[in-house]
Amino acid sequence: MSRYIATRAIRGANALVSEAEAMLSQALKERGNNTSVSFPNTAYYLPVIFGMTGREIETLGQLEASLAHARKLLHPVPSDKQWTPYLGETLDSGMATLIAAETIEAIRYIYGLQPERMPGVELAGATAFTSPDADSAKEGASNGHLNGAIDDIQLRTWGIQLVDGRMPGFAAIVGCAKTNEAAVQIIRELQRRNILTFLCGNVNGRSIIDQLNEEGVELGYDTYTVPFGTDTLSAIYALGFATRSALTFGGMKGGQAREILDYNRDRVFAFVLALGEVDDLKYAAAAGAINFGFPVIADTVIPQILPTGITTYEHVVSMPWNEIDGGDDLEKAEKLVQKCIEVRGLKVQVSDVPVPVPYGSAFEGEVVRKADLRIEFGGRNSRCFEFLRMAKLDDITDGKVEVIGPDFSEVAEQGSMDMGIVIDVAGRQMESDFEPVLERQIHYFVNGASGIQHVGQRDITWIRLSAKAAEAGFDLEDFGKILHARFHSDFGAIVDKVAITIYTNPDQVGELLEEARETYDFRNKRLADLTDDAVDVFYSCTLCQSFAPNHVCVVSPERLGLCGAYNWLDCKASYNINPTGPNQPIKVGRVIDADRGYWEGTNDYAKAGSHGVVEELAMYSIMENPMTACGCFECIVMLIPEANGVMVVSREDTSITPAGMTFSTLAGMAGGGIQTPGVMGVGKFYLASPKFISADGGFPRVVWMSSVLKESMAAELQIVAEREGDAKLIDRIADERSVTSVEELLPWMEEHQHPALAMDPIF
Amino acid sequence: MSIEIPKDKWPGAVQTVTLGATAEQGGTRTKVVTIGGEQTLPFMHFESETPNRPVIAMEMSSSRPGGWSQVLQDTWGDVLDDPAKWAQACEQAGAELIVLMFGLTDADDNPITPDFAVQTVKAVLEATGLPLVVLGPGQVDIDNAILVPIADATKGERLVLGLCEEGNYRTIVAAAMANDHLVLGRTPMDVNLAKQLNILMTDMGLPRDRIIMDPTTGALGYGIEYGYSVMERLRLAALQGDAMTQLPLMVNPGFESWKTKESKVGEGVPDAWGDWAERGVHWETVTAVSLIEAGADVVVLRHPDSLTRVKESIDELMAAEPV
Repeated sequence: MSRYIATRAIRGANALVSEAEAMLSQALKERGNNTSVSFPNTAYYLPVIFGMTGREIETLGQLEASLAHARKLLHPVPSDKQWTPYLGETLDSGMATLIAAETIEAIRYIYGLQPERMPGVELAGATAFTSPDADSAKEGASNGHLNGAIDDIQLRTWGIQLVDGRMPGFAAIVGCAKTNEAAVQIIRELQRRNILTFLCGNVNGRSIIDQLNEEGVELGYDTYTVPFGTDTLSAIYALGFATRSALTFGGMKGGQAREILDYNRDRVFAFVLALGEVDDLKYAAAAGAINFGFPVIADTVIPQILPTGITTYEHVVSMPWNEIDGGDDLEKAEKLVQKCIEVRGLKVQVSDVPVPVPYGSAFEGEVVRKADLRIEFGGRNSRCFEFLRMAKLDDITDGKVEVIGPDFSEVAEQGSMDMGIVIDVAGRQMESDFEPVLERQIHYFVNGASGIQHVGQRDITWIRLSAKAAEAGFDLEDFGKILHARFHSDFGAIVDKVAITIYTNPDQVGELLEEARETYDFRNKRLADLTDDAVDVFYSCTLCQSFAPNHVCVVSPERLGLCGAYNWLDCKASYNINPTGPNQPIKVGRVIDADRGYWEGTNDYAKAGSHGVVEELAMYSIMENPMTACGCFECIVMLIPEANGVMVVSREDTSITPAGMTFSTLAGMAGGGIQTPGVMGVGKFYLASPKFISADGGFPRVVWMSSVLKESMAAELQIVAEREGDAKLIDRIADERSVTSVEELLPWMEEHQHPALAMDPIF
Repeated sequence: MSIEIPKDKWPGAVQTVTLGATAEQGGTRTKVVTIGGEQTLPFMHFESETPNRPVIAMEMSSSRPGGWSQVLQDTWGDVLDDPAKWAQACEQAGAELIVLMFGLTDADDNPITPDFAVQTVKAVLEATGLPLVVLGPGQVDIDNAILVPIADATKGERLVLGLCEEGNYRTIVAAAMANDHLVLGRTPMDVNLAKQLNILMTDMGLPRDRIIMDPTTGALGYGIEYGYSVMERLRLAALQGDAMTQLPLMVNPGFESWKTKESKVGEGVPDAWGDWAERGVHWETVTAVSLIEAGADVVVLRHPDSLTRVKESIDELMAAEPV
């Protein structure tokens, strides 16, 4: 907390409460206790006072008690000499400011001073009120004055959009922009993002409302840009609006101050944008807004309050207009608004994928044949890679798509060219561990476009573009547009900004490819280093409970989900994206048996997640309390007692196994969420894990394995063989080409000196 | 020889939910319906009393429904063209609750408008004193466009608004919260998805006594076992104390059974299938009664004869003597 801000806010609050008291006593003298007070067309009395204190103010006389309450919230300004905590005092003063401000505006309504007159203004939609001016009443009460308080009808229309996310949030702009052009650009940037904007305040008598008015910007309900008044006090209507949102859509009652403030912090994504010099009263009002969890962003130099506390992220951020890096007002305005979005954590929705070809998951499996081909990237004749990396929030511009190098217009029909797609992603919740998880989505996102075929990933990416898609106008930039839209819509919880650069110069592609390869290697090593001992959280996966109601996968870094589709990082990302979804963190807790893989946390979860069917779970054993399976396992591991080992059957292998059964028959035994010692369904990459049935002797127990696994995982299995100290280990394992029965298996093992023969009995 | 019947004692109970509000409760209904409150599996009267009978709702549409079986069209006749009359006919047939479905278009094939929707709901509310469930056509934009004004125009009636689905619950929940209504959440036959939707809706601040869940089900011969099993598991989880599965269940045996070939087709089917109309009613009745035994708190039907038969079954199930 900045002492400077505390001092000024507390001073401003003291002054305003005194002013309100003076106004009230004069009004009581002139109009009497029973004069009714209200804002137009609302059922929530004076909403901030009602929400925060539960007082149902209907007459002037009742305001005395409210102001007395406000006075009690005041504190002396912090002393120069003694350092005391003053966050609470500043927030209290902010609340006192709001009560005083609402009191003053209510009195002004009695005197006909609100809504504020402004000759020449015509609002496009506004709060209706009974005006002493007959003409304006006739004209729908929208001429010659500003809006003042928002009525309940408009509150319902906008409040519901704020709650359901169609409207990402609202901005309360206080003050005056550097120039008229800057004012216009800021408003345009907000409107473009569907952010509701309230205008109030002035700097030296000049308000952003004047600026916009001079520039002919249409103001009013219809343009989502509502001018409250040209003084700071009218900012109270923004908080009255916020309070009523919680009362209406949050089911809260007047007086539930804490609940209303929490609701606003968590669900109403509002912020204050202070333009121009910030005086005591503005600091005081800002302190009031911070109570609601609304941060303040200023375009001048003011002290910042960066640590998180009352607001979700920073409290007060200074971004001096002159120092914003941008060529013109438009660029500066864009950066300022982007900063506001970032500080408040607004989620801007991107629903459509703006490309000239049909887009949808129905096109994912589409193949572009040679005859229909316009151009291809990657494959035999050119290089293509995709590389997603995390960036800092300040370093990238959301939605920027840049093509560096020539487009494909010069490339012959059915020709090919180099391409590198580099995606920079930034987000408050982003972690570098999510990079590969997001990168793998590119395949699905790009494939969704009709006439585009995407195969592979990383540096083996191969993209084909059909002649039809090219004719429709699909160009390189459209890859970027697809990725921007889809990352926002599917991963909005962790992604705040996405920028895409597409390189086509062979030299640059070559250079970046090297850089990307270094990162791919780094990620591979990171995955290899990510061991069960290195983390204290595993993840559950209950996606398959619709088929196997009592089955739970426990996914650890060294044991991926049995379907092969979810590893530990995927689950972690999935949990961040969807905190109530099927992947929940399991704190492993106290170790019960490190060798067999028992922890308190995993046991407790297995019991709860399986609805009591599984009592205990050994993560690393097939013989004792093995993990259950649904039915989507990639392989079945099954004990062969005669061989003192296990066989591994691939889902793709239809032949008979030494157990005398085919995969499909075995699947019935392995699935269904039942613990069967000696039988287990697993993901195929678990075979290469050091924790693969490590309690039972590990990989050397494998005596028979479908040949398709040997071939498709040759590289991974060779590493396992070397880890086990026997480079020829894989050759000692039988497969369906040589052995189809137990009778054949034992002589084969003897002949090939399989290690299981010399191991301890498996049970 | 006397046999000791073992009794289960469950730690959890189903949430009690009241649909509709009378004049003194802030609405205009002459009757309200209360469901839920079970403390044991369905009709295990010897373990715990069943505080509220399963309720039979009748389904009707904002205009003559295009795809309905001829059997149903013949049974209801001209009232199908007038929602107010149709609602009255449902009440006369013995319905305890009305489910008003909006199609995408009105009787003249024009897309429905918010104004049309509000007028239709008002007409139905005037025509009957029963509580009302209002369901949009199931397209996000249109559902939101009509349900919000309907909610605003009927504040305090404690209507049930739907459908809330995972991708589209916020607007409907917010509209319900602002106007003292209830919501119906639907998830596709999955315990975890049902639970997740309930978590998301209550996270918005909607109290549990204003949510009903539709776990989706199938008709007899068309996946009823699957739906039955999901309902049974939801109920078991509720009784075991999982708060997010403790909401009453509403299912649509009428919709499900009347889209089967057996109910829809009268010609070119084997003689052994018997009388068409009788077959359709049987199909709906058996589907409904099975789902009631799985734990349904509300069954939504289409044929008045099914209603009579299902009601008889409920009478029998409720009358069973405690052991």
